[in-house]
Amino acid sequence: MGIDVGKFLKNPEYDIRITTYRDVFQVAALECDRWGDEFRKYSAAVFMSKIDMAKMGFKKGDRVKVSNTNGSIVVEVRETKRDEPGGIAFMVNSPWSNALVSGDTGGRGIPEFKDIRAKVSLSKDEVTGMEKLVVGN
Amino acid sequence: MPTVMELYQLLPKTNCKKCGESTCMAFAVELLSRKKKIQDCTPILEDKFKNQREKLESLLLPSEGAGETGMIVHTELCTGCGNCVVACPVDVANDPGGAAIGCAPTNDKVIFKVVDGKVIASNIRECRRFGKNRVLCYACIDPCPTGAIEFV
Amino acid sequence: MVTCTGCALLCDDIEVIVEAGRIKETKNTCLRGAGRIKGCVNRLVPSIGEQRVDVGNCIEKAAEILKNAESPMLFGFDNSTSGAQVKAVQLANKLDAIIDDTSSFCQGIMVEKVLRQEFRTCSLDDIRNKADVIIYWGSDAQDSQPRHLSRFSYFPRGEERQRGYEEDRTAIAIDVRESNTAKICKGHFYRIPLKGDRRFILALMDALSGRVPKFDGYDVQKILELSGILKKAKFGAIFAGIGLTYSIKDDAGILADLGRMLPNFHIMPMIGHYNMRGFNENLFRETGFVNSVKFGSEPVHDNRYSIAETLREKSIDVLLVAGSDPLLSLPRSIAKSLAGMQVVCIDPCVTLTSKISAVNIPAAVSGVECGGTAVRMDGKKVELSACVESGFLGDEEILGRIMEAV
Repeated sequence: MGIDVGKFLKNPEYDIRITTYRDVFQVAALECDRWGDEFRKYSAAVFMSKIDMAKMGFKKGDRVKVSNTNGSIVVEVRETKRDEPGGIAFMVNSPWSNALVSGDTGGRGIPEFKDIRAKVSLSKDEVTGMEKLVVGN
Repeated sequence: MPTVMELYQLLPKTNCKKCGESTCMAFAVELLSRKKKIQDCTPILEDKFKNQREKLESLLLPSEGAGETGMIVHTELCTGCGNCVVACPVDVANDPGGAAIGCAPTNDKVIFKVVDGKVIASNIRECRRFGKNRVLCYACIDPCPTGAIEFV
Repeated sequence: MVTCTGCALLCDDIEVIVEAGRIKETKNTCLRGAGRIKGCVNRLVPSIGEQRVDVGNCIEKAAEILKNAESPMLFGFDNSTSGAQVKAVQLANKLDAIIDDTSSFCQGIMVEKVLRQEFRTCSLDDIRNKADVIIYWGSDAQDSQPRHLSRFSYFPRGEERQRGYEEDRTAIAIDVRESNTAKICKGHFYRIPLKGDRRFILALMDALSGRVPKFDGYDVQKILELSGILKKAKFGAIFAGIGLTYSIKDDAGILADLGRMLPNFHIMPMIGHYNMRGFNENLFRETGFVNSVKFGSEPVHDNRYSIAETLREKSIDVLLVAGSDPLLSLPRSIAKSLAGMQVVCIDPCVTLTSKISAVNIPAAVSGVECGGTAVRMDGKKVELSACVESGFLGDEEILGRIMEAV
C-alpha cells in the first residue's frame, strides 16, 4: 500500500495478528473465580514485543482498543516476558480473545483461535468487563 | 539479578550518608547483598523519586525467607511445577524412590516441597551451596521456567 | 493420597489437609491443581430461571426441558468421571440427541488418531523410563500440564535414564512463541512462523530423508541439526500440543507421515481437561467416533454436530452442559446464540454459561467431593476418590436421575 493512513488519524490504527496461548496463573485464577478481578487481570491484555510496541508508539499499561468484524474489546498493552521478534501479538485464551475470534470454522468445527487479525489503537475507555462479554450486544 | 550499577543509577546519588553508608555506591552494594533495605535510604521515599523507587522495588523482589545459602523463592512467580524438586541433586540422593523419579517426596530429607502450588525450601543446610565444600550449584535455578528461585 | 483433576496428568501423589469439611492445604499439586482441589469461591446454586429451588426440582425440570426439546444437545463431560460420561452417552442415545465435548475444537483429531492406531504411541511411564529425545510441539506443558516435565518427560530419573536430564535427555521445543517450556529447552528451541507447522514438518521430512530442506527464511542448518538429533534417538516422543493441532487440523495425517519416518518415536496429544480422553474413548467404544455424534436409528458423526457448528447454525434448541463453559471458551460471535436457547448447566461453580441458563444444577467436584475413574492423557485408567463430604451430587448421579425422569 505504501501510505500509512493511520498517521492522519488522532489515534493511529494498526493491523495486528494475534495468537493465543495458555497461562498457568490465569488458569489458577479461573479455577478460583472466573468472574473475579484476578482472572480479568491475567486475561484482559495484549502482549507485544518491544519492537512492535515502539513501532506503534505503545507503552506498557496503555489501554488499546482491539477490534475486527467479530467484536471489539479494550485491553491493556503489556510487554512479552521474553524478547519476541515481533509481527505477532499474544493474548491468553479467554473471553476477551474469544470476542475477536470468528465463528466461521469452515464447517470443520474448530474456530481460528490462534490466528486473529484485528486493528489496534490507543483508547481512553475502561478495560472491557466480563459482564459486557457475556451479555454484551 | 540486577547489577550494582543498575541499582546505583536509580539512587538519588547525593551521597547524603543518611543510610549510614558513606556513598550511594556503597549503599547500592549493601542493597544488592540485602544487608540494607530500600527504606534505609530516606530521600528516595520522597515523591519526586517515586518512579526510581518503584523500579528499585521491582529489581529487588522481596527477600523474605532468604536462607543461610542466600536462597530466595519468589513465591509470586512459582507455578508449583516441581522441576526443582526433581532436579535438585540433594533431593535425588536423599529420596531415590520419590523426588528422584518425579513423584512426590517420600521423606523429610528433601530440600524442596510443594505446598498449595508453591515451592517451599527446607533442610537448607543440605544445599550444595552451603558449608565448607560448597559448590556453585545451579540445579534448581536452571530448571525453573519462571525464574522463581534466586541466590543472593 | 488424592488424585488431582486439574489436568489430564491426573497426578495421584497428592496429599490434602482437610479441616471442617474443606480442603485447607494441598501438597505436591502445581498451582493449577491447587486451584482445582481447593475449589472456587462461587458455588453454583440450584435454580430454575434464577429462582433458587431444590436440586430435585432442578433435575425434574431439566428432564422436562430435554423431553420437550426438538433437537437437544448434550455437551461437556471432560471434567466428569468416566461413569458420568457413559451415562451421558446413554442419555444422548435415549433422547436421539447430539453429543459432543470440547475435543471437537481441541485435541479430538489427535486422540482419534491414537484410538485408531494411526499414531505409534506409548505411556507416560515409558517416557519417564526410556525417552531420550522429547519434543514439545505447539505445546507449553509448563503452563498447561505443569508437572509434565518433572513427573514424566524431562527431569525424572527413569529405569534407562539414570544419569539425570542434562546427560540423558534432550528436550526440544517447536513453537511460535518462546514459552516457559521453550525456556527449559534452551538450546533446542525452534521458533517457527505462525501456521508454519506443516511447512516445518515437510522440511524436517526432507532433512530426514537426506534431501536439503526447503523453508523460506529459515536456517536450513538448524533443521538439519534437528533431524540429526531425531535420527539418533533411541526412544523419542512428540508431544502434540494444541498449537500444532490447530495448525495442521486439515491435514493431521502429515504428523503420522512424520511418525513413519521416525520409527523410534511415539506421538502423544497433550490434553488439558482431566478426562477428555475418557470421553473420547467412551464415545468411541459406543459409536466408533470420538465426538460430534447425533443419535437416531444409528449414531452419525458429522462436523455439523460439533458445538461450534450447532451454535453457529442454531440447529439445536436445548443444550445440556456439564463441566464446561461454552460461553467462556468459544468465540463470542457464536456463543451468544446460547442466549436464545434453553440451557441446563451442571457444574460445581458459577460459570459464564450458568448466568444465562434456564436450569442450574450444582455438582460435586470430581476427585475431591466424589470418586470414580478417569483416563489419563496417555490412556491409563486412574482411580479418583472423594476426600471431602460435601453433599453435592456427582455428575454421574445427576445424569442418571435425569435419565430416569425423561
